[in-house]
Amino acid sequence: MSDKKQILDVQHIHMRFNSKGVCVRAVTDVSFTVDEGETIGIVGESGCGKTTLGRCIVRAYEPSEGEVFYTAGDGEKVNFTKIDAKTMKKYRKEIQMIFQDPYSSLDPRMTVYDIIKEPLAANFPKMPKAEMDQRIMDIAAKVGLNTSYLMRYPHAFSGGQRQRIGIARALVLNPRVIVCDESVSALDVSIQAQVINLLHDLQKEFSLTYLFISHDLSVVEYISDKVGVMYLGKLVEYAPTKNLYGHPMHPYTESLLSAVPVADPEAQMERIPLEGEIPNPANPPTGCYFHTRCRYCTQRCKETAPEYRELEPDHFVACHRAEELKLKGFQYGD
Amino acid sequence: MMENEARKNDTIIQVKDLKVNIKTDDGILTAVRGVNFEIRKGETLGLVGESGCGKSLTSKAILGINDKKCSAEGEIIFDADGMGQTDLLKLKPKGDEIRSVRGKQISMIFQEPMVAFSPMYSIGNQINEATLLHITKDKKKAKEISLGVMKKVGIANAEKRYDQYPHEFSGGMLQRALIAMALVCNPKLLIADEPTTALDVTIQAQILELMKELQKDFGMSILFITHDLGTVARMCDRVAVMYLGRIVESATALEIFKNPQHPYTKGLIGSVHKIGTKNQEKLFSIEGTVPLALNLPAGCGFYERCSQRIEGVCNVYDPTLVQTGGDHQVACFACTGCPNKGACGADGKEGGKDA
Repeated sequence: MSDKKQILDVQHIHMRFNSKGVCVRAVTDVSFTVDEGETIGIVGESGCGKTTLGRCIVRAYEPSEGEVFYTAGDGEKVNFTKIDAKTMKKYRKEIQMIFQDPYSSLDPRMTVYDIIKEPLAANFPKMPKAEMDQRIMDIAAKVGLNTSYLMRYPHAFSGGQRQRIGIARALVLNPRVIVCDESVSALDVSIQAQVINLLHDLQKEFSLTYLFISHDLSVVEYISDKVGVMYLGKLVEYAPTKNLYGHPMHPYTESLLSAVPVADPEAQMERIPLEGEIPNPANPPTGCYFHTRCRYCTQRCKETAPEYRELEPDHFVACHRAEELKLKGFQYGD
Repeated sequence: MMENEARKNDTIIQVKDLKVNIKTDDGILTAVRGVNFEIRKGETLGLVGESGCGKSLTSKAILGINDKKCSAEGEIIFDADGMGQTDLLKLKPKGDEIRSVRGKQISMIFQEPMVAFSPMYSIGNQINEATLLHITKDKKKAKEISLGVMKKVGIANAEKRYDQYPHEFSGGMLQRALIAMALVCNPKLLIADEPTTALDVTIQAQILELMKELQKDFGMSILFITHDLGTVARMCDRVAVMYLGRIVESATALEIFKNPQHPYTKGLIGSVHKIGTKNQEKLFSIEGTVPLALNLPAGCGFYERCSQRIEGVCNVYDPTLVQTGGDHQVACFACTGCPNKGACGADGKEGGKDA
């Protein structure tokens, strides 16, 4: 395990949006590292900054502060936040994105062939047509699209098929990292399983690294090696999946887990209710961001923000009382 | 048979052989192809299936609020107050009778709270609409009743919220307001069409708990429509699984999860990763996609995707729901045996109780 190569190193990322003179902190001081070939799940409720974080990493947004280090295929370490757009282009083909909505993320006026070709043509303008064709055919077959349908338009495909088109478009450049932003959330369960299996197979074949952003805790548990939990723009806990689901150390993770409906009438957990609503990110609470809804809150939590620290090997948490609290997670049989 | 008798009196709604046809440019599409179910007093029935299987059309047919190009056949017998056993489909869709049922005795919670409210009117105003129509004409009284329900569903600061507009509410609060609107007339049957799909897990859990509590208080029945098996496990007493406009299996929730019979039900349950088990095995996936309900071939609608299909039987005969014990019904020849003993041969399992 130790010979794993680090591929992404995110350091103290901040993203602030200014709108009408109000500063909204979408992402606040997020740091984590990703090894090559891993799948990282990012979970949290809507508005917690998951998507913004993903976009900062692929540099669709320019982060307000902080750094994203990427280890390129040739071993070179690049700082995404320091290089200009032109240099960035060189690395864009190594980091691709799959989007949430298979209906709005494909141009209805382009054929499937053109949709998959677009990234190739943009990044390899000199590639001979025959080679381009070959690559498009290969990748379409790989993701399970019928290659005789490539001249059709997206409207002729079902949701699951469209998501495959989106996956083909991301994969055609042979990327190393793929950011999946709620990529299976809009699909029906049986189709969802097909796409998840496909992502799994592709990962093995091309040794891809996934950053899997989702609000669905069971899908994330299934697909991820490590999971990060976000609340109000902060990463509150980051750990290997089994540790996080089995022994959560942050009270927010605990109540999040207890809220998931389990597909088994006999295995329902006792829910740990969250009081109140998510505070406004334009005006976050003092101290720990979660203290307004935390049932373990103390005076200290209201005053000082907890440090994000490595409590156990690979298990990061931002909570003052993480050591003393015995929080409940799922009980794994084995 | 005593039990049967008692059950009959308990039934609040009975849907018999419901069909919904949609006129399209390519001909008539039968989206709901003969659905039968009943809901008892105080019970929650889950209607489960993937998009396009006809769950929403079924529920809207009950209220008679389907689109103009849809036409419903069959019978929906509702035990209405003041009218006794009434076939809702026979009532005029714009008549007074159905209107005294709609929103009062049967009400509905829609999927997307953001869309279900009009942005032009205050929340209080919209909740009041039902109160004024069905309970009282006195505006002051109506406001009191509406405020009472808003408090009941856990909207804090109800007086202030009453005058606010939908955009001032968060998704979870808006869903509470929608529930308040549905419950204000104390309905006998609540139809909840994917009420929590658009919400975050923590809010979802709150809303589900709220619905359960209110069900106890009001003693109402719930028809819970969803594609999320987790929610079903948490909420429902009985489950009916729909595929391509038909109910393919129905049983108690416990039975459906412990002992699924129909290959589609098995596939559905298998394709969801059960949280809390770090099972790295491949998810089971049902091959192919749901076919369009236009010019369907003879035989079982699931034939093309089924792993247990019996050639010469499943693509020839149309399976119907067959009792396999207790409250468990299945429409599948592979589970219940085939209709034509001679044709089945050795594969056809022990003959079939239905023959």
